[in-house]
Amino acid sequence: MAHLAHYREAHPLPFVITHWVNLICMVLLAFTGFYIHYPFFAGFMGIARGLHIFCGIVILLNLIFRVVAAFFVKSAPTGGTRETDFDWKSFAPQKDNRHQLGAWIKYYLFMKKTHPLGAKYGVPQKLAYLAIPLLLLITGFTGFCLWAPTSVVGPFAAFNSLVGGVMVTRIVHYFMLWVFILFTALHAYLALIEGLSAAKLMFLRREHGGLVYSPREHNIVGEDDLHEGAEALK
Amino acid sequence: MTKEEACASRFDAMLAERGVTRRRFLEFCGAIAVTLGLSEALAPSIHQAIAQTVIGKAEGALTPVVWLELASCTGCTESFAQVDTPDIATVVLELISLTYSETLSAGAGFSLEEAKEQTIQNGGYIAVIEGALMEGWDGNALRIANEKGTEIVAHTCSNALAVVCLGSCAVDGGWQAAVPNPGGAIGIEPFLRKALAAGEFSYVGGEGDLPPIINIPTCPANPEHLVAILVDVLLLGRLPDLNEYHMPSLIFGEYIHDNCPRRGHFENGEFVYQFGSEEEKKGYCLYAMGCKGPQTKTNCPVVRWNRRVSWCVESGAPCVGCAQANPNKEGFNWVDLNSPFLNRFKNLRVGDIIVQPAALAATVGAVVVVALVVHGFGMKATGRTKGGADFELERAWDQKHPDQAIGAAAAAAQAAKVQGVENAAGAEPDADATAPTDAAATTDATAPTTDATAPTESTPTDTNSTEDSPTEGGEE
Repeated sequence: MAHLAHYREAHPLPFVITHWVNLICMVLLAFTGFYIHYPFFAGFMGIARGLHIFCGIVILLNLIFRVVAAFFVKSAPTGGTRETDFDWKSFAPQKDNRHQLGAWIKYYLFMKKTHPLGAKYGVPQKLAYLAIPLLLLITGFTGFCLWAPTSVVGPFAAFNSLVGGVMVTRIVHYFMLWVFILFTALHAYLALIEGLSAAKLMFLRREHGGLVYSPREHNIVGEDDLHEGAEALK
Repeated sequence: MTKEEACASRFDAMLAERGVTRRRFLEFCGAIAVTLGLSEALAPSIHQAIAQTVIGKAEGALTPVVWLELASCTGCTESFAQVDTPDIATVVLELISLTYSETLSAGAGFSLEEAKEQTIQNGGYIAVIEGALMEGWDGNALRIANEKGTEIVAHTCSNALAVVCLGSCAVDGGWQAAVPNPGGAIGIEPFLRKALAAGEFSYVGGEGDLPPIINIPTCPANPEHLVAILVDVLLLGRLPDLNEYHMPSLIFGEYIHDNCPRRGHFENGEFVYQFGSEEEKKGYCLYAMGCKGPQTKTNCPVVRWNRRVSWCVESGAPCVGCAQANPNKEGFNWVDLNSPFLNRFKNLRVGDIIVQPAALAATVGAVVVVALVVHGFGMKATGRTKGGADFELERAWDQKHPDQAIGAAAAAAQAAKVQGVENAAGAEPDADATAPTDAAATTDATAPTTDATAPTESTPTDTNSTEDSPTEGGEE
């Protein structure tokens, strides 16, 4: 089996950090969120609410940083290369992805035997990542609609009355929690199911040899074992 | 002795006749002042205002009140009337002229209806409406004195100084309007809005206007809230400051949760999980029992009920959110918004299907997890769990459209031969040469030869997009 070489250029350090922040905040937000929904053990409400609000604000600031940094930090536009370009281009339509949505769907439905070529992010993956900022903003917004000090502020109060009451806002916010849980489940599954090397790169910056892809040729052009011999390519 | 002092002492004598001391009445006036958002120091002014109004109008010139009772349990009337000692709020209410009230008026039948009609003709009265209006069966779901409720309400509101919708049913239909609402229950304000739009209602005080509406939700309505409003409207001659729901902002401006005597237990994470439990005895927070205090705005914890004896949460019942009546949103009422009352979430309804949001979300979550597990076995069975499947040599679409192909394998093969692995910055040129010893690599090594024959003429030109012109030099 084959995969592209995992180079650090795919995930520059600032984005490894924002990814860590996202992960930690998501875990804490989900746990405290469930607790605030229903306190399933005693003695934690004050801490849970404090953590929840803190992590909610941190993850929104992290989102802003991540989006702004995409315009200043360079990253590899595809897997298997050390060439870099501005990171935002990895989230814009790329030639490498063109016409590949069907191929990806077929691949994951076992209707296609070979792995689709593509940019750093496959087409469905890119669409999912693009949806995340929007989903985070919806969740953050409904969160501020529920937090007493902000719930009386113009747009948040207006949203509460638009949907008919804080109860409805709470349900929307709760469903968003599940949207993120399901996203994370899918995200982790797809990142890990074909091997751990992608995760090792993302979390630990550990490189792994593999096929070399040229963002100029839009195809695989060779192979790189990182000086570790054929074993490294497995 | 000034006129004010004279009035005050006469008034005090009237109070004494009803078993209320001047001191208690002043305390009451202080509470009214606070409820109205005034300083407690204004209690004497309120006392004087009440005294003067009462004395000045003692000979039958009191402001008339028409109290309509529509679809209701009479709980709001009971809330005022059910007193075993002379109640201060009741005293004040006696000082208005209750022209028409089905429950409280001594008269009945034709003469009472006649009195109501005269009051409406004369104007200058306050309409207090208790209970929901029923629009069902062409308005025949509610008939009083052989007249449709819809017509009575439109007529009564047409010439009123102000319309006080008393109790949550009058505000948004309440219990009667809850699913399935066969009688077509609706709140007074939404009804008047509809009637105005349909040209079936006009207000004497202004063409195309609604009368001043004051919504006082809660189930039943708190007598002190009504008294505060009457003092505001009658004695201070102004409408209270109203929020977007036309509810007095000072009464319905803060979350119950924020003033709750059990709030400390909430912050400590001390909850009642079951009635009859040790936690309940300790007076812990009722949040886990579905208390709607965190999303309901009233001053219940401050004003309390039954002459400040207690109120729902203090007496051990989770708040059911009765003050969340919403006159602005069609089809919404506080019962549907908050039931089942002992659950943290309301029920979601799609047609006849009723589901709890948490159960729905958990079911969807479980389905997704099962699907991923099944998919994982598929990935294992197809041997993709060790690095994924082999890459396609050329994009499927490109193969079918060779003239528009990008990244054709032939070009890639050439590039691989000519440039080696130059593109892989940091990789040794001989990395490729040493690699093809294992199966995966062999596959790739054969790729270029296979593709050398591929029918493609495309060259890697980057003419049309910014996205595929990567700049050189990755960070090392």
